Amino acid sequence: MVGGERGLTPTMSRVKDFIYGLLFYDFTLYALRTRASIESLFLLVTLGDLIGLPIMPPYYSLRILPYVVPNIATWKRRMLREKDLLETDVMGMMSG
Amino acid sequence: MNTLIALIVGAATFYLGYSFYAKRIDEKIIKSDPKKATPAKMYMDGVDFSPASRNILYGYQFKSVAAAGPIVGAITAAGLWGWLPALLWLILGVTFVGWVQDYSAMMMATRRDGDSISAIAYKLVSPRSRTILLIFLFLYLLLISGAFGNLIAGALLNPTIPLGITMLALAGLLGGQMLYRWKMDIAIVTIVTVGLTLLVIALGPVEAVQGAVKAFNAGLDALNANQPIVSLFDPTAAAYAGGFINIKVSYVFWLTFVAVFSYLGATLPVWRYAQPVNYVGFWIMALTLLGGALGAAVAFFVKPELANFVLPAFKVWDAGVKGTLQPLWPMLFVTIACGAISGWHALVSTVGTARQLENETDALPVGAGSMFSEMLLAVLALMAVSVAGKGVGAAAFAAGVGNFLSIFGLDPKYGSALALAAFVIIVITVMQLVIRFMRVALTEALGDAMPIMRNPHVGTITSLACMFLVVLTGTFVYLWQLFGGANQLMASLALMLVTLWLVSERRNALYAALPMLFMYVTTIGANLVTAWNLWVGVVRPGLGKANYEIVVFGGLLMIAIALLLVLLALFIGWDAWQSYSRMKSQQRAGVEAPA
Repeated sequence: MVGGERGLTPTMSRVKDFIYGLLFYDFTLYALRTRASIESLFLLVTLGDLIGLPIMPPYYSLRILPYVVPNIATWKRRMLREKDLLETDVMGMMSG
Repeated sequence: MNTLIALIVGAATFYLGYSFYAKRIDEKIIKSDPKKATPAKMYMDGVDFSPASRNILYGYQFKSVAAAGPIVGAITAAGLWGWLPALLWLILGVTFVGWVQDYSAMMMATRRDGDSISAIAYKLVSPRSRTILLIFLFLYLLLISGAFGNLIAGALLNPTIPLGITMLALAGLLGGQMLYRWKMDIAIVTIVTVGLTLLVIALGPVEAVQGAVKAFNAGLDALNANQPIVSLFDPTAAAYAGGFINIKVSYVFWLTFVAVFSYLGATLPVWRYAQPVNYVGFWIMALTLLGGALGAAVAFFVKPELANFVLPAFKVWDAGVKGTLQPLWPMLFVTIACGAISGWHALVSTVGTARQLENETDALPVGAGSMFSEMLLAVLALMAVSVAGKGVGAAAFAAGVGNFLSIFGLDPKYGSALALAAFVIIVITVMQLVIRFMRVALTEALGDAMPIMRNPHVGTITSLACMFLVVLTGTFVYLWQLFGGANQLMASLALMLVTLWLVSERRNALYAALPMLFMYVTTIGANLVTAWNLWVGVVRPGLGKANYEIVVFGGLLMIAIALLLVLLALFIGWDAWQSYSRMKSQQRAGVEAPA
């Protein structure tokens, strides 16, 4: 979870979280999306068969498997979820 | 009337509406449950579905809904009908319609596995309702780009502004470089980029700078012997009394400047330009508006003459001239969209925030809280134009905020220049993202049939060409009201979906159905009035005249858009009625309604 207490009074913590949400949260989301895209590409190349792409598991896929196991569940959710037009890269930054 | 009373009215609306109505609906009808797993927890993917604290989401949602919309709508409506109708619609609209849509759409998406609003429309109403929603969205983007393009190009003719806006673009490029390439601390990046931009904005009103910009504009106009390229009658010009708009070379130049600014935002990587420009712009806007709000609050005690409203409370029932119509109903309700209710919020609430709620109970402070806060921003804009006493629109807003800032000892001349620059910054930062969004929408819609549209430069140039076409019709108010029409139809659709969702779950849907019916009928009426105004005010006077071809074509295009919006609204209304009847008959037969 993002946010929470960091040795501040509850009111100050709330104000800090509000300002973080106002100013920086879209930076965080954008960074997370960028990282997820790179990670998806890497996993697709090495472990594409996990989401139905017929890739012969090469030697290196098995070598990295222990390291990527924690990310596989969330990666599969990201890749297989239906997305629509509203989910553009600027949606989080747009204002009304 | 004065600023203190207006602030008290705004704050009281927030408190009473939130505590006695919103909370009651949350407890009695929606029954939000902190023990229910939210999509953020169930489908956590570390990116879009990821729980965040309610305070962060409140800030994020507020930033996403409150920017240029509530300011432009309030100042335009105050100029047309006076401050009282605008204030009444803001407080009644947010209390009975605005928060209902934002909060309920968020809860609907939360309870339906984090589906986007278009996916919910597909499942709950009909497959074509999703397509219609996306058409509304594209027209929303086209019209907002036209309205904002018109507004910014006009404001940039003021010689105090262009230098600051040019600096904003450079500060954005510098900020992206410092933050992502040189990996510098965000605090240092903020101080350097925001400080530089503020410094250059402060140079704008200096005589030598103003003189240079004026000479530059005069040089541009001399290219066409100082004659307008097109001179057209705008029934809403000259303080809404009607007057001639002269589109000169300098205006086209600054419109092209806006296009270049937006082109960079739409084609460069987000981290390189769009994001840092937004960030720097947000600081300028926040500092100016916060200072303005504080000034407005203390003006009553320190300089009461600056706190009194000068603008008439009520002007006329129908502000139309020369055969055009501007009746209070239905036009006020599309002129002020954001601040009272806006369909854009439903998109943000479903695609963005609903997927990050940690608990269902967070939806009320995040969704409803942000909407009520946005109303306060609109009230601030309304106060600024009401105390200004001179000018209309952006100029009056800047003069009013300049007055508020003068409470702290700032020269009103500099205060007004800062406020006008902040206003242009708010609008232009949204504009660049709108063009980027339009480019993506065009690629999605036409990319398969016309592969060339997949090229980001082609998509962006096409979007900018559409923007130019609607701007050169020259009538900001009609553009703005048509944009409001598209926006409010999205809001009606969102409320329609909420109503159907509540019916499908056998809950009392009246609190959403009544506002939906009001917004639906009002917006259809407003779009028909705008189509008539465009015909009488823009197209008919220009028919057969030399140099008017583009104005007439743009006017006809806007009439077509207005009628298309009405037609699509009728389609979606029919589909929703069919869906409602189906649900009711299934419920009567004891069959569970489809999810």
